[in-house]
Amino acid sequence: MTERVRIRVDDVEYEVDAGRTVLQALDDCGALFPERDGKRPEQTDALIPHYCWHPKLSIDGSCRLCQVEVRAGADAPPKLAIACNTPVSEGLVVDTKSETVAAARQGVMELLLINHPLDCPICDQAGECKLQDYAYTHGVDHARTREPRRKAKKRVDLGPTIVFDQERCILCRRCVRFCREVTGTGELGVFDRGDRSVLETFPDEPLDNAYSMNVADICPVGALTTKDFRFKMRVWFLEDVDGICTGCSRGCNVHIGVAKNAVQRYLPRRNDAVNGTWMCDDGRLSYHEIAREDRLTTCLVREQAIGEDSPQLRPASLDEAVAAVAARLRPLLDAKGPGVIAGIASAHASNEDLRAFKTFLDVLDVDTIGLAVARGDSDDLLVEAEKGANGAGARAVGFGALAPVADRIRGGGIEALIVLGHDLFADGSLDARALAGLDTVVAFDTHRSPVERVAHVVFPVRHAAEKDASYTNSAGIVQPVQRAVVPGPEVRDEGDFLQRIGAALGLAGFETETETEAESKAGDGAE
Amino acid sequence: MIGETLRARIDAEIARFPVKRGGLLGALHIVQEGQGCVSLAASKELAAIFDVFPVEVIELVRFYNFFHESPRGRHQVYVCTNLPCALRGANVLLKGLEQHLGVGVGETTADGRVHLGREECLGACANAPMIRVGGVYHEDLDLAGACAVLDALE
Repeated sequence: MTERVRIRVDDVEYEVDAGRTVLQALDDCGALFPERDGKRPEQTDALIPHYCWHPKLSIDGSCRLCQVEVRAGADAPPKLAIACNTPVSEGLVVDTKSETVAAARQGVMELLLINHPLDCPICDQAGECKLQDYAYTHGVDHARTREPRRKAKKRVDLGPTIVFDQERCILCRRCVRFCREVTGTGELGVFDRGDRSVLETFPDEPLDNAYSMNVADICPVGALTTKDFRFKMRVWFLEDVDGICTGCSRGCNVHIGVAKNAVQRYLPRRNDAVNGTWMCDDGRLSYHEIAREDRLTTCLVREQAIGEDSPQLRPASLDEAVAAVAARLRPLLDAKGPGVIAGIASAHASNEDLRAFKTFLDVLDVDTIGLAVARGDSDDLLVEAEKGANGAGARAVGFGALAPVADRIRGGGIEALIVLGHDLFADGSLDARALAGLDTVVAFDTHRSPVERVAHVVFPVRHAAEKDASYTNSAGIVQPVQRAVVPGPEVRDEGDFLQRIGAALGLAGFETETETEAESKAGDGAE
Repeated sequence: MIGETLRARIDAEIARFPVKRGGLLGALHIVQEGQGCVSLAASKELAAIFDVFPVEVIELVRFYNFFHESPRGRHQVYVCTNLPCALRGANVLLKGLEQHLGVGVGETTADGRVHLGREECLGACANAPMIRVGGVYHEDLDLAGACAVLDALE
């Protein structure tokens, strides 16, 4: 067990692990703004401004902004110490508010701003810029220099994801350390020296790795910006909603930036048990799928048999689609019983919808159930092989391997299939041909997919960013998400559709009025 | 390519330090002396030898004035233009040498014989003005004397 020591920062006492530095210890206590990942400082936060220090990177000590007064008993060093690199010790007293500290911060801010272009009006970081914030809270309100500011390169194309502004860079080297310590790719370095120092890549080699866009998050100023979000939106127009990335079973926590009822960006949200402070580029860009052209917006039904020249699915109303499912399943149930029906869940569905699906199948007495999930590349950092946010949740509800279900389908024992998601063909055990002979295929999906080719009825369901729900990640952590955007009126939860289908089939416990209707009657659906 | 001879010298340099990368600065000198410059290709090779990222080698090369990434002529001629030399006519001397060689500061003669540069104090103030040719000081110079020094180079 690590030894604990007591330190006092201003008026607050903390008990912290020995061997940590002041900033690390405060961060361990969840008391350090903004590393706590809150948007606004709380009364209980220790306010020690810093640029170069980052909780998940090595200590650099280069920005000098976190200087504080420290003393331990009678032993007080004659000058300020940087909080990021000052070890805690029993009885250590830290003063972050003295005049000396304020003067030191002012001095640091003045030096950092000497060559800064002050182009905040056209800078994408404005509004979430630490240079802006700290200039306001700790800086001086005028410049004493008359010399021209340093000219350097603007709009440097660092690689496929990032644009760099050399003039805005304050050389904190967070991005340099990120590429060396986290991704191990080491693309970035600081070349030359003194006031000519510039951040660069190895000549003619791009910043290109699977996590490259994190450098824009950790950049405290507007030097590194992502091509994806650059000039898209002033950040103060964004509403911040807690969500998760649904790209893989890691379930990285994200800040969903919302404006105009559309997701404008994902930023990683700190969760040390899941993703730390990072997320992969693929996941970060996956929000584009929410409003992609191939999103399903209405129910679809197919009236003629599936064949070589079978007609396309046509849009249908909700009632029509529900009736179509009942008209297909009811005779089948009456003639052959639930044994000829199979249910396949998806790792894209929420825990709530998976439970609703399981209940629906249980009431029907269907026991041929499984989970279809896509697999892909993984890495040692965050990316998991299972490409779906809720595989663990589906297994916990009772959906097991796909193979037995696939065997029964190929063996001809199944005549109707109810399937969530679009990963049905992902592992290759089933394909469109294997399903072509089925009497009925009912699909629930967010997007158009190859499953449609064999489906008779398709229901458009919500994306994780469109609902209040929960997802269970690969480590078994149940993560709640909040609705960030409101989908089209016909796009609903799987559970909602299943309620209606159950009612249409006359199943016990299924009523016609659903929560969604009750919600809209209460006037809550109007937002 | 860093050949066997240079590699042996680099290994000897590494052996002088408790940690491997301590020898990197020395290795840069060895490579520049042997190859006339520290090329990007050589930086990559050194990165592999020292188990560092290639950008870390470039960081070192570009931090110091005395490393260069492309060849600079057979003879490196630097004129001190710091205060004592400047007071004794170093800038006039530098202009004269530019004319004599037909190149500007920071350039190399077309035949690749001489690279001309300026430098900060080399500690020979008592005998200003002075130039450095490679590792050799030539002091108490006037333009004619300096030209004679340069003309005598191969």
